[in-house]
Amino acid sequence: MIKLSGIEKVYRTSSIETLALDNINVDIQKGEFVSIMGPSGCGKSTLLNIMGLLDEPSKGEVTINERQLKGYKDKELARIRNQEIGFIFQSFHLINDLSVLDNVEIPLLYRPGSGSKRRELAKEALEKVGLSNRMKHFPTQLSGGQKQRVAIARAIVGRPSLILADEPTGNLDSNMGNEILNILLQLNQEGSTIIMVTHDENMAKRTNRLIRLFDGRQVF
Amino acid sequence: MIRHFFKLIWNKKRSNALLIVEILVAFLVLFGVMSLMAYNYQNYSRPLGFKYEQVWCLNIGWNQDTAQIGEKLKSIYQRIRSYPEVEIASRTNGNTPFANNQSNRNVKYNKVTIQGDIFSTDEQYAKALGIEIAEGRWYTRADKGAKHTPAVINQIAKEKMFGKDNPLGKIIQLEGDERWKIVGIVENFKQRGDYQPNAPVFFNLSDWDMSSVLVKVKPGVDANFEAKLMREIGNMQPDWVFELSYLKTLRKSMNQQTSIPSLIFSIVCGFFLLNVALGLFGVLTLNIAKRRSEIGLRRALGAPAPAITIHFVGEMLVIATLGVLIGLILAVQFPLLNVFDLEASVYLVGMLLATLTIYVLVTLCALYPSIQAARIQPATALHEE
Repeated sequence: MIKLSGIEKVYRTSSIETLALDNINVDIQKGEFVSIMGPSGCGKSTLLNIMGLLDEPSKGEVTINERQLKGYKDKELARIRNQEIGFIFQSFHLINDLSVLDNVEIPLLYRPGSGSKRRELAKEALEKVGLSNRMKHFPTQLSGGQKQRVAIARAIVGRPSLILADEPTGNLDSNMGNEILNILLQLNQEGSTIIMVTHDENMAKRTNRLIRLFDGRQVF
Repeated sequence: MIRHFFKLIWNKKRSNALLIVEILVAFLVLFGVMSLMAYNYQNYSRPLGFKYEQVWCLNIGWNQDTAQIGEKLKSIYQRIRSYPEVEIASRTNGNTPFANNQSNRNVKYNKVTIQGDIFSTDEQYAKALGIEIAEGRWYTRADKGAKHTPAVINQIAKEKMFGKDNPLGKIIQLEGDERWKIVGIVENFKQRGDYQPNAPVFFNLSDWDMSSVLVKVKPGVDANFEAKLMREIGNMQPDWVFELSYLKTLRKSMNQQTSIPSLIFSIVCGFFLLNVALGLFGVLTLNIAKRRSEIGLRRALGAPAPAITIHFVGEMLVIATLGVLIGLILAVQFPLLNVFDLEASVYLVGMLLATLTIYVLVTLCALYPSIQAARIQPATALHEE
């Protein structure tokens, strides 16, 4: 599904060079639910960004669905993000000026398709996360858990094969966090490959596999 | 996508309202300036109706003198005509071409009354100014004994008074029960310069003591003759005042009475537009700074960099469209209500040019911040949140 080989990420300023990731090798199979854990600043989000093609590694190779993506242009990477990857963020990243339904539709705006088809898919995704009764609401009218469910609906609306979740329960209380994790487990059971960054050991235990990072290095 | 823009803009209507008002005001100012320009261009593009290059205008003032004015004027006129340098000389009233003097009167035919510029001249006037006769003829010396004063009108006077009827031979009535007979029609006659709208004009053969002489000189005649002429006619009537101007100079000065205020108005409008442009630029730059996480999100969800540029330019164009639409609703009232009695085409050109200018302005202002937005690294923008 996704393979990272010899990934290195260096952030450079005029005076400092920071090694954020060092020789990361990961191979995640289709249908796996993998957690990434580690202390703050260890490079978890950087790794997830590289997996999600939001950032480029300084060294190493990223392969998604058998395609080695080195040298891919922005347009091609954007298409892969749009059609094959779904993102869930800790702070939800919902657009407050759009309704729940319109927020969920966003990924579909960047691919061909009619407005009615988009609407239909967005409604289906919202039904799946149990928010069909909140479609006309705006994000500011929702609780944290509901917002994250909207974000999950937005991540799955384009039916991606890979879902990347960056601390999806980080801003939620434990009940709501469990609720969100249950939805993710359900999606995984339905066939989605999920990679989740988390600080919560208990949540990580409920996933298939755990990748630990420390100071940018993979620890076993 | 357009629907998505509309939703975003509608849901942010409070913050966008000010922007829409700014664009509306800019549109209305532009509509005014563009309509004025269209009006001036339309007038300028119509022929003047006469030739002025070799023509001088001599204005005569007889001060306190009251004795035998007619005879004295006649002898001056005869003297001017006698110079070999003079091709044609024509006596006329003070409302000579490009002069600020006007003589307006109401003219009536049947039940139609219009106001027109009256030019009382002698029979040489058309020749002196090279006025071309479209129909009929110019009046001659032989018309002097006629029952009705012979008159020549221009095309617009014909259309307004007679419609499609032939006006030749018809008798028109002036205030004071004076009656003139139409003997000819000319196309245009824009006495007040190139920017004057083509208004109704009536020329009539006059016997009155006319205070101006149009002197058409032969090619190559220069200031030496002007000095000689002024000296010799000055000697004929030492107490009178003679003032000679070239129609060429008068035309330039008359045209400037329209072109300079228009230019000033355009410069003021230009500064206003610059302010609007800077305002739009600033608002959009701020907007993009506030929406960095949204940009990061859109990039993460599959928007390529050019789609971000298109998104922000598109949003601005939708906002501009709302402002322009309101402006067009207001602007269209001008031709519908016939404000200022201008042709509808002037307003339509004004609307078209104002709309185009707004779209160009908005696109230019939106383009740079939108390109900058597209360069935002999604990972960085998402992390900032």
